[in-house]
Amino acid sequence: MLSGPLPVTATPLILTTMALALAGPAPAWLARAKWPRRVPRAALVLWQALTLAAVLSALGAGASVATLAVHGDQLNLGMVLLHAAAFVFTLTVLARLLWAAHTLGTSLRARRRRHRQLVDLLSHIDQRAPGARILDARETFAYCLPGLSSRLVISSSAVDVLADDELRAVLEHERAHARARHDLVVEGFAALHSAFPWFGRSRAALDAASGLVEMLADDAARRRTGALPLGRALVRLADATVPAGTLGSSGTSPLVRIQRLAEPAPTTHRGFAAAVYVASMALIMVPTLTVATPWLAYVSAGI
Amino acid sequence: MGVAQGRRAHLGELERAVMDYLWSLAPTNTNHPTAPTNSGAPPGEPAPTPPQRAATVREVHDALAQARDIAYTTVMTVLDRLAKKGAVEQIRDGRAYLYRPAVTLDALTAELMHDALGTVDAESRASALVRFVDTASADDAAALRAALAKLERREY
Repeated sequence: MLSGPLPVTATPLILTTMALALAGPAPAWLARAKWPRRVPRAALVLWQALTLAAVLSALGAGASVATLAVHGDQLNLGMVLLHAAAFVFTLTVLARLLWAAHTLGTSLRARRRRHRQLVDLLSHIDQRAPGARILDARETFAYCLPGLSSRLVISSSAVDVLADDELRAVLEHERAHARARHDLVVEGFAALHSAFPWFGRSRAALDAASGLVEMLADDAARRRTGALPLGRALVRLADATVPAGTLGSSGTSPLVRIQRLAEPAPTTHRGFAAAVYVASMALIMVPTLTVATPWLAYVSAGI
Repeated sequence: MGVAQGRRAHLGELERAVMDYLWSLAPTNTNHPTAPTNSGAPPGEPAPTPPQRAATVREVHDALAQARDIAYTTVMTVLDRLAKKGAVEQIRDGRAYLYRPAVTLDALTAELMHDALGTVDAESRASALVRFVDTASADDAAALRAALAKLERREY
């Protein structure tokens, strides 16, 4: 009943190996790579593909072991226990992921709703910063409160300290976050990290995704206002920033972002980006087709 | 859609005006013997009720009507929304309701700034806000200016 190039019993082994490789060495390599900042959108898709493939492999490995038990010939107690354990593992991974996504999403939405109420009550509007809410504060800051009903918020000190074109660049950057719903992309990686904080490189994936969406927003802003106002705004607002609970955030630092603005725009790397998209597709498709198909055929033949 | 959004924005602006008026009413909470100062209280917890004069809908309407054309029922709607959000307290006074802020302006501002300055989500990394410059960045100012100088040379 073999319907693929690989023996069916090899499926769990291959999927487990893939899951481990995709959760450990692959993200470690991608996190160290220098090229993602040249093609941030493609790199973000590759991170998503990598993460999705890792999760699917882990689930597939557990599920395939568990179902082989049902169809297998050698039914002794040891095998049954092994397969039961694999089944429980699969369910646990899935449940943890769904639960983490649910609790994180719920708490984020609640915090954003509360913050939006506060902003709406305490901010004012100023024609110098069209479309934004202004908070009176000595500190210079600007942020986007994402969501279906998003807000761009900037402090009065930031409005004062920025030149007109710099202010436009900041607002375009934040608008890009709100428009493209970058928060949802980051939320996916955050959910994975909170489900499996100790496993693999979930933290590296989250940090990388946070950095890449900053780059995407920078690119959107530079298309509209040019690179220079954005670079100047970064210097002005970074200078004044107090390092609070200092976390070594990777790739997002203002220094990297300014250096990046001096490099050629991503549009000059179209061919490279296309190659990364193809690799991302392959990462999800190839394991699914070559490994899972024979196993699925085997299972359906047994039914 | 556009009309609905415009109406929401309008209500938001009115809510702000109503709160500004209510907060402006005799803030006698300085030197109040039982009210602790809010500076030490962790944000998010309900602040102690300010000993503040409550206003009738009529008073609020009169105050707002000075600057705009507004119906009495609209003021009632806005106060009702604010009460549902927990921003104002409704106090029964005979047949009518009196309204006063549920939280002081200082406490709300402190809570907002606590979020805005990023002291909350440094731990979880799943930030509620997307900042222009991450507060975790601690780049050397000289390095930043050098990078900017390079960008300026390239642009000109």
